[in-house]
Amino acid sequence: MTVHALHIFDRKGKTLFTKRYTNSKSTPAQDAEQLSEQRKLIFGMLFSLRELMGSLTPEGETPALHSVKTGANTLHCYETLSGLRIALYTNNNPTMNAVGSRAGVENSRTSFQAALKHIYSEIWVECVVRSPLYRPRDIRVNEGEGMDVDGGEGRFDIRSTNFEQKLDAFLQSMPWFR
Amino acid sequence: MSSKSSAAQSGQALWTKMPKANAELFALTYGSLVTELVRDYEDPIEVNAQLDRIGHSIGVRCVDEFLSKADVAGMGMTTQCQSLRDTAEVVAKMGFKMFLGVQAEVGGFSQDQKSFSIYLQDNPLSTFVELPGDEQGGSDDLRRLKYSNVYCGVIRGALEQVNLKVECNIVRDTLKGDDLNEIRVELKEVLTDGAGDDYKEE
Repeated sequence: MTVHALHIFDRKGKTLFTKRYTNSKSTPAQDAEQLSEQRKLIFGMLFSLRELMGSLTPEGETPALHSVKTGANTLHCYETLSGLRIALYTNNNPTMNAVGSRAGVENSRTSFQAALKHIYSEIWVECVVRSPLYRPRDIRVNEGEGMDVDGGEGRFDIRSTNFEQKLDAFLQSMPWFR
Repeated sequence: MSSKSSAAQSGQALWTKMPKANAELFALTYGSLVTELVRDYEDPIEVNAQLDRIGHSIGVRCVDEFLSKADVAGMGMTTQCQSLRDTAEVVAKMGFKMFLGVQAEVGGFSQDQKSFSIYLQDNPLSTFVELPGDEQGGSDDLRRLKYSNVYCGVIRGALEQVNLKVECNIVRDTLKGDDLNEIRVELKEVLTDGAGDDYKEE
């Protein structure tokens, strides 16, 4: 499977949504702990990298971080002006990367950037922001099965929208999902 | 400025993409909301505050809608909003056009470029509306009501989401006999990004 996980953070680094697509062998409790540690590191890295890019980018040009590639995996990210960050954690997909670089990543309809943009504008905005229950800064985070944050009463839960279904359907329709 | 006409064009493009609602229904719904608030709170100052609060919640949501639509249309906001002047253009020409179908004008920049005015020729919210006039006495309290105060909240909420803390005020209102509507927007501070408490707690 190509896609490992997807995280959505707000401006302040709070996790709004997180989902893991690969199975892990550890128990759910361990897994949640691991995942939360991972999220923290990912957000920290994205944040610092952006600060760094801000100071490296020549004046008049827009700093933008598209992906971070390591030997084994690639982290694709998309940041909106409203501070939402979507991070998609995948393995290195040679065919996809080749297609992307040949066709120009921005234009390729199936590129990761386009996909993340789609997730934001067609799925996040449609399902979450438009939900009458949505209260910014008051979102309950699903930390995996049975790991709800305490005191979540009366808070908006993303699971009450069809965000997750739509997201899954969209990701599965992508040629690079598997 | 070169982006002047392009902002208007972009606004038009965004407007055509939006699902439309009947303008009269919209105006009447807003009217009944205000009436209800007046009945509930009785004090016009409190009503203004509530309208502002409602607007703030609307604005916080609007901005994502706006950014996603504008981004898809290929208008890079990051390149467009370099200064408050650009931001003002985008709010007036694109934001107002996209959500209300009316175009607003920008002007009245202060010396330090920290505040500006948005002028609305026609205000879709105030269709069919008449505020009780002076001569009626008694209800003279209602003259302090800022009928369209929801705009202030919307602008405040939307800009807050993109890290601009602003204060808005309706300074001229056609309902009070002025020749146009003027919303004064004042930039208080540019917020900085940083990890919040939630991140530290986690």
